[in-house]
Amino acid sequence: MPKIIIDDREIEVPEGTKVIEAAEQLGIMIPRFCYHPALGSVGACRVCAVKFLEGPFKGVQMSCMIDAKDGMIVSTNDEEAVEFRRNIIEWLMLNHPHDCPVCDEGGHCLLQDMTVSGGHGMRRYLGLKRTYRDQYLGPLVQHEMNRCIHCYRCSRFYQEFAGYFDLGVMQSANRTYFGRFKDGILESPFTGNLSDICPTGVYTDRPSRFFGRRWDYQRSPSLCINCSLGCHTTVSARYRQVVRQEARYSEAVNGYFICDRGRHGFHYARTETRPWQALIEGREVPTEGAVRAARERLAEIVSSGGPRSVACLGSGRSSLETQAMLGQLCQKKGWQGPSYFMDKSLTGKAKTAVSRLDPELAVSLRELEGSDAIVVVGADPINEAPMLALAMRQAQRRGGKIAVIDPRPIFLPFDFNHLPVRLDEINLYLSALVKAAVDPELIVDAGKDAIEFYQEAPSLEIVAASLQEKASILAQELRAGQRVVIVCGTQIVRETTPALAADHAKFLRAAKKQAGLFYLLPQANSFGAALLASSEVSFLEIIQGVEKGEIKGLIVAENDPFYSFHDRQRLELAIEKLDLLVVLDCIESTAVKKANVFLPTSTLYEAGGIFINQEGRVQAAPRAYLGGISIAQIGGGDHPPRVYGSDIPGGELRAAYQFLSQIGNGDQIEDDDPTRRSLLRWIADNIPPLAEIPPFDELSENGMRISSSNDTSPQFAVNWQEEKEKGKGSEGPLEIILTDWTFGTEELSSFSPPLMKLERKPYASMHTDDAARLGLGHGDKAKIKLDEGNLEVDVCIEENMASGVVILPRHRLLEWQKIKSLPKFVRFEEIEKVSG
Amino acid sequence: MALYNDGVGMAPSDLDHEEWEMIQDIKVLLPGFEKHRGNLIPILQSIQEKHSYLASTAMEMVATHLSITPSEVFGVATFYNQFRFHPPGKHQIKVCLGTACHVAGGDIILENFERKLGIKDGETTPDREYSVERVACVGCCALAPVAVVDENVQGHMQPSKVEGLFVQFQIEREREEREKAEREASE
Repeated sequence: MPKIIIDDREIEVPEGTKVIEAAEQLGIMIPRFCYHPALGSVGACRVCAVKFLEGPFKGVQMSCMIDAKDGMIVSTNDEEAVEFRRNIIEWLMLNHPHDCPVCDEGGHCLLQDMTVSGGHGMRRYLGLKRTYRDQYLGPLVQHEMNRCIHCYRCSRFYQEFAGYFDLGVMQSANRTYFGRFKDGILESPFTGNLSDICPTGVYTDRPSRFFGRRWDYQRSPSLCINCSLGCHTTVSARYRQVVRQEARYSEAVNGYFICDRGRHGFHYARTETRPWQALIEGREVPTEGAVRAARERLAEIVSSGGPRSVACLGSGRSSLETQAMLGQLCQKKGWQGPSYFMDKSLTGKAKTAVSRLDPELAVSLRELEGSDAIVVVGADPINEAPMLALAMRQAQRRGGKIAVIDPRPIFLPFDFNHLPVRLDEINLYLSALVKAAVDPELIVDAGKDAIEFYQEAPSLEIVAASLQEKASILAQELRAGQRVVIVCGTQIVRETTPALAADHAKFLRAAKKQAGLFYLLPQANSFGAALLASSEVSFLEIIQGVEKGEIKGLIVAENDPFYSFHDRQRLELAIEKLDLLVVLDCIESTAVKKANVFLPTSTLYEAGGIFINQEGRVQAAPRAYLGGISIAQIGGGDHPPRVYGSDIPGGELRAAYQFLSQIGNGDQIEDDDPTRRSLLRWIADNIPPLAEIPPFDELSENGMRISSSNDTSPQFAVNWQEEKEKGKGSEGPLEIILTDWTFGTEELSSFSPPLMKLERKPYASMHTDDAARLGLGHGDKAKIKLDEGNLEVDVCIEENMASGVVILPRHRLLEWQKIKSLPKFVRFEEIEKVSG
Repeated sequence: MALYNDGVGMAPSDLDHEEWEMIQDIKVLLPGFEKHRGNLIPILQSIQEKHSYLASTAMEMVATHLSITPSEVFGVATFYNQFRFHPPGKHQIKVCLGTACHVAGGDIILENFERKLGIKDGETTPDREYSVERVACVGCCALAPVAVVDENVQGHMQPSKVEGLFVQFQIEREREEREKAEREASE
């Protein structure tokens, strides 16, 4: 390891470390525009020049281009280097407009900082400046090309790092232009990062334009809760509303970037339609009154029907505190639940994913980037958890091979092999691939279970003829891979798949590979929900209980079954049958409108909270601001209100767990902390994997990874006969698969106006053969006959998906709740073309 | 759905006639090239060879053929000086901005042409009469600043000479029209 002296201080760094990185480790920030740790060096901006006094290089050199070597003595503040850097900045500023007062980047602009700190305060150049035409790049990013200093960060991120090619470098030399072929919405779902990495104001965040300077904002670390990955963000709030969200560096989860869904998914907390006032039967009442009403009416129900006549529904988007409070109430009061999932199958899958996530096998998102073979089973990364696709792209760029076994038409921004098979075939294909990838000699001492598992697992013979070639290539790539990761979704797959994925990861480990396992869960805190959920009661059982008249009262905490339950008609009837529906939520939902008692809860930004991501990482987000109706909304614009009062409008919000505690325990809560503290104690005592959970504010930057696996769940217990039987016969009816899209299906982010502009109109995807049999053409409208009436939807014909399935997005503009049951099959006769 | 308008279902009059021809030609030309991104420059060259410029529709068609984005095609094409994106004018004006001409104020000459014609360098007037481009040294530095108008080298250029050139073109055009009118009258 080379030793290098920078500014008279010695440091030892690994071979291949650039001088600029070595200096950073010493706390010396050498100026940089083009260098970015995630993108590497290109030496385009010349502003990181330092003077090399001793060693293999001499004189002024670019510190981002030179590897640290033994014997190097470097000075960052040598007069010659300082002079050089000053000239570079002046040179870059020749064409840069003097528009800082109206530029949104002003205040957190790297170029501005460097210009000021470099001492270039006066303009000497009097000539004409180079100007460009700006482009429309969509609702998220504002383009202002005149400000460009040609550092190439944007095109390197967009093309090399993220794998999209509709934005790039045009022209050359003095006319170099960064943009698209012509105006249009950027195709990548990672475009917000352009505003983060641009060292000046070429790309700025469009929705938050002209709202404030960085120093105006209350900035605090936070978490993204728009999917289960739990990426780190920085929230900027001003005048009681969230204005902007940026990526926050995280070594363990998201690295330097986040996706657009996460970046712009916060608007639910500031929409004008957000319910701020407690309601009883639709009438606005003081919060205390609503809490009392809920408590009293629940007590009535319990006194007449016993504790089992009250049930609790939570969700995967609540903080762990809220989820645990539901658990505590159910435990203490004997109420039914808590349930967090819509049906038992989903509960089962989430519970399996949690209990089979062996700490030896679990990999973080960043560790996934280092794998050399990834098998994705029943997951659609770009739509379900976009940042996973970005991590997989990094693995692929380093030579990793990627296979996807999924019925949907998968798109990923890199080369991969897709085996489009039906849900019933996924298990077989996974086994066949893994079996072919393992050397039988290596597993002799792997244990009896593993050997039996290996012998009984299906081989590549089960693979359909059309996929044989692809599958054998995949098997070879897997065989060559040493660090293999199995990525398993939990949304669409059969109940057996998550356990099978774990079996295979274990088996690969037994076969001397560094195997890893990476589950995707439905929502941000589904992990916590799975730890707490009652395995007897899912929401479907609650509905059944209501129908039978056993359940009279229902408490719904931060969930909207009208959004997520797959049988709207049945749900409506059940809700009408209830004596009492108590809803606690922070978004305007159908459940809120139907509630007998409604309590407005605070969001993650106003209360903070603990979330556990899909790899079992317990992470805490502190409160970002105090809450209340934003000044913009009260003043009807960005003007402060003209009528003053001493209280904060909308200031009666509480976190859902506090309301629950008041309802259940009758506590008078004055302060936030005692409830949270006692709740965390309850969590530690009652949920073994969380026994070690530290107090809220002591959770470290990267959270704490818990070990949630337990040995009681059966391993290598697969009924291959049954699996093979199910995998046979493709002439049956078509299966409807409900799926997520990047934009438009996730509950919270669908409140975001800028993201609404990116939503596609919902359409059903169908395989070419199925569509031909139905006489449907691309873009035709199809009518799917369902028990609750017809579902009309546009058809998109795809070649790269499984036949025998119809893919429907869980889109808010599509009445998919008509499908009534899951899994759902429709016969060919039940789908027809709508003419005209 | 194709990104570009490939002329299907449209009458030639809907499109610029030249562009229509270019599209028809490209349709014939593209299958001759393997779908490999290394073929990008050869394809662009052969289109330009025949039509002397690249229309944006042409670049979108090439992008579709090679399964890359139009942005990549445009990025490569604009990088090189050899490609032009506007059809050449009847009279081609090349203004030298080589070292000697630069020192002698070649940029002032270029600006004069641009202002006179209302176009930027690399562009063509809407009536297709003139196109202006900058070149780097035409090899007669002693005459700096130099402009090459059609095939004629104009040395020691001055703003007043720019005006003079256009007066000449104007006289030429009027003479042609007069002769044409006389011919028609005599027939």
